[in-house]
Amino acid sequence: MLEIIRIHNELLGTYGDRGNADVIKFRAAARKIRARITDITYLDPLPKNGDIYLLGGAEDAAQLLSLNALRKGSILARAANNGAVVLAICAGFQILGTKYATRDEEFVGLGLLDVITTPGDKRLVGDIAVQSDLFDFPLTGFENHSSITTLGVDAKAFGKVLQGNGNGVGALDGAMNKTMNKNVFGTYLHGPILARNPEFADLLIERAVGGAISPMTDELAQRYAKWRRELIK
Amino acid sequence: MLSPRLRFAILVAKSAASASRLLGHKGETLPGRILLAIEPEAISLLAQNKEVILVSGTNGKTSTTKAIAAIVSQLGPVATSGSGSNLAWGAANALMSPAPYAVLEIDELHLPGIIAQTDPTVVVLLNLTRDQLHRMHEVKRVADRWHVECSEATDTVFVADIDDPFINYAIVNATNVVRVSFGGRKHPDGAVCPRCGSYLHWTRGNYSCTCGLTNKITDVRLKKGSAAYRNAVLANIAGEVIGAAPIEFKESDLERSVTKEISGKIAHFRLTKNPASWTEALQSHLHDDVILVLNARQVDGIDTSWLWDVSFAVLKGHRVIVCGERALDMAYRIHVEGIEPQVVENFEQAISLAQGAEVSVLSAYTAFFELVM
Repeated sequence: MLEIIRIHNELLGTYGDRGNADVIKFRAAARKIRARITDITYLDPLPKNGDIYLLGGAEDAAQLLSLNALRKGSILARAANNGAVVLAICAGFQILGTKYATRDEEFVGLGLLDVITTPGDKRLVGDIAVQSDLFDFPLTGFENHSSITTLGVDAKAFGKVLQGNGNGVGALDGAMNKTMNKNVFGTYLHGPILARNPEFADLLIERAVGGAISPMTDELAQRYAKWRRELIK
Repeated sequence: MLSPRLRFAILVAKSAASASRLLGHKGETLPGRILLAIEPEAISLLAQNKEVILVSGTNGKTSTTKAIAAIVSQLGPVATSGSGSNLAWGAANALMSPAPYAVLEIDELHLPGIIAQTDPTVVVLLNLTRDQLHRMHEVKRVADRWHVECSEATDTVFVADIDDPFINYAIVNATNVVRVSFGGRKHPDGAVCPRCGSYLHWTRGNYSCTCGLTNKITDVRLKKGSAAYRNAVLANIAGEVIGAAPIEFKESDLERSVTKEISGKIAHFRLTKNPASWTEALQSHLHDDVILVLNARQVDGIDTSWLWDVSFAVLKGHRVIVCGERALDMAYRIHVEGIEPQVVENFEQAISLAQGAEVSVLSAYTAFFELVM
């Protein structure tokens, strides 16, 4: 059973990122891989046995609540150390960093990714496209935030920005670890990213099950992904 | 007495309106824009001699404004904004009317400015949920702005649906408030207290925060009901504040819905523009044939990620046809929920595929106006 843990969707669900879990389950089912989505609220303990943990975008107060709840017991960090897949979008990505700041305060993050996020001076809103080394085609999504995320020495970008802003510095988006915990992914792409880019959902499933999965033909998914990629400016 | 400059501004704006109508435009923004260009203070100057009622919120503004205009018209002539024309120039355009009452629909981000300029008698605050986030950015950001302005408008009576914690937070320091609760309705984006940032505790659709924000302390408590029913109640309370007798509305009077015969079929159109309005519409009666029309222009919201926050499960078993500029976003969304739609180029093709005599059409904002207006 592929255990998909959707973390704090009532807090980290401001931008439709809950769909990432649905797409993973849908595409796993097509490969006869049984998958289960467990929704964990702020009040629930985080399960240790997750194969894929998902975090989404949030407003400021919700982001802080989620961070404080996830700090307890360092369960997410341990799961990542053990090879679990973690996909974190926008505010979720920021709390995985070592530190993030709002205009008024600074917070120590969960430290799963070596990035620091600081407030920027403009809102970064619009369609975004990134080229990641993981794929030989661009990924598309939508971004809406006002932060600047800087990579530390242990981190590399998730992708280069072809359109839009991403991390807001260096034309890069997101982060991954250079050496350790290579199944942790942070990015600013909403959409949801896995709905717009089903190949990425497949990659996460492969990482979670630890091997290649059979190919799948979903014409609608391909048509949708292709159409959005053709619109990249 | 109007100043010479204001009179001149009105004159130019009105001639522009006639010229624009001759060219076939509906012309609600142009005259307002001209008026404000010549006399930037026009809104506050024109509002001085009127009893002004403002209506704002994410969903239900237009229909509630129409309902209040009907109620207030029992007292005298009413100036009111045209359908969806809810920015500053729309207000300016409506206020040019000599009517002693003005009932205006105001965009959420423009509300604080228009309150400051018009010193309204009553402001009706319906709800705040996620909508057009490319423009609003965050629900809390809108609520913060309302909170500041509502606290300062000490002469205004706020009629507020406090089942929405963002609305309750907006009016928590206001001087005159009619707090209305229907109870039992969990807010889709209400996990965090907008006032203090704590996790908000909800029990059976009611909330209480440790900071004191709650929908249990009310001035008017009513039974649960649809959005149309709730908005009719709020409209009548607003009317009561200025001395107008209540009117009994049918729910259909306040739904953003239109029935129209197209290609020999009866099409029931419903406006759906964000997670809350989609969810409300999907709970209504749906025919066997359902057409979903999705666009993503500025006023629709240029991003469609929020589709994943709506459950379309009730569409299982229906014949679902999808069209619009972002038809594929919708098609893939519901595909993952186990619903296989037919995707077509345009509405004409969609309606031709419908097999029943009656069709439900759930439509994005811009498409709604193009198809039914």
